[in-house]
Amino acid sequence: MKLVIKDLIGPRCIIKEDGQKVFDAIHDLLKNGENVILDFSEVTQFASPFFNFAIGQLLKDVDEAVLRRLLHCEKLNETGKLVVERVIENAAKYHGNKDYRKIVDDILEQQAKEAS
Amino acid sequence: MAQKIIRIPTLNDEPEDIQKLFKIWSQVNGYSEDVRFDFSLCRFLRPNAVAFLGGLARLIKFRDGKFVFDWHTLNSAVMNSLVQNGFASAFGPSSSTSSGHSIPYREDLNRKPNSIIGYLEDYWLGRGWVHVSPRLRDAIIGRVWEIYNNAFEHSLSKIGVFSCGQHFAMRNELILSVVDFGQGIPAKVRAFLKSDPRASQLTAASCLRWAFQRGNTTKQDEPGGLGLDLLKEFIRINHGKLEVYSNQGYAIVGSEGERYENRDIDFEGTLIHITLRCDENLYRFADEL
Repeated sequence: MKLVIKDLIGPRCIIKEDGQKVFDAIHDLLKNGENVILDFSEVTQFASPFFNFAIGQLLKDVDEAVLRRLLHCEKLNETGKLVVERVIENAAKYHGNKDYRKIVDDILEQQAKEAS
Repeated sequence: MAQKIIRIPTLNDEPEDIQKLFKIWSQVNGYSEDVRFDFSLCRFLRPNAVAFLGGLARLIKFRDGKFVFDWHTLNSAVMNSLVQNGFASAFGPSSSTSSGHSIPYREDLNRKPNSIIGYLEDYWLGRGWVHVSPRLRDAIIGRVWEIYNNAFEHSLSKIGVFSCGQHFAMRNELILSVVDFGQGIPAKVRAFLKSDPRASQLTAASCLRWAFQRGNTTKQDEPGGLGLDLLKEFIRINHGKLEVYSNQGYAIVGSEGERYENRDIDFEGTLIHITLRCDENLYRFADEL
């Protein structure tokens, strides 16, 4: 299946609501093992909220290796590619449970280093 | 309640100027305030002060107070700059604007992506001061959009977001200030971590440092934590400057690295100040390094 992003949301991929539209259009297909092409022709502006929802959310129940095999981004410029890569790298961190105690430990450790 | 006279000093872009702004905020940060802003001591106002004072006026009004900008106390240079950037027409005596080297004062109560992007494209980058390729223009706008998006997603500002900018021809710099009057980043981080009682011990600087690291987010049910990191990276590579004042914290990011500090003056909100250079030949993308 090929999805022309500009036709679905326009030339800006910057807000989470538009990312959710893309997610809704491709999530089941990817879960069923189908190939999906996202065509970014004439899309010029990118920001992380869009890709967090369009692609980051997929990693809740689609393995990263499977996602990389099935999902293809065409005509995505380098600025967009950078954001997509960051979102995929980051998604694993997000989908793990948050360890609040560890976060506070880490911040306090850094704080102590700076104070010494 | 007796009317408070707030004398606005000359306000530049330095940290001590921002501290003066926050002190003014602390003087009128109540309910049903009655405030007169007097500009007789003011020789000029930089855009961060313009955005901040506009937001402060809206905050006073939101809290059932009253404010007056005493236009008669403005010297002609300050008045001209407030006419140029549209502040004067937003609050009073002038119905006209003449842009000069100002990037207009702007208020956004709600997130309106197309309108904000249009502002950045047409009034900030699109005035011919920065000769940018379409790709660079779009990359800058995407990064700066992350600031606005964060402000609307995280700050919980009830009065929205306020912006103003300026092109400095002599310094060949383009600046933009964006301020919200929400809870502030350190307060948000502490609230996110409140299940651990030690969260209250976290300094504002430590909280800012954590918020600026890739992948760290206070969102509970959705991915995030990339916006500030992407902006930070872009600023660092391209020798710009990003300064963030939030609660008692201060962060500065530039080509020489990043620094986080605690300050004496508190502010319930976040002020972000970006400085970009106006020479496209100096710009690089992360994939070109």
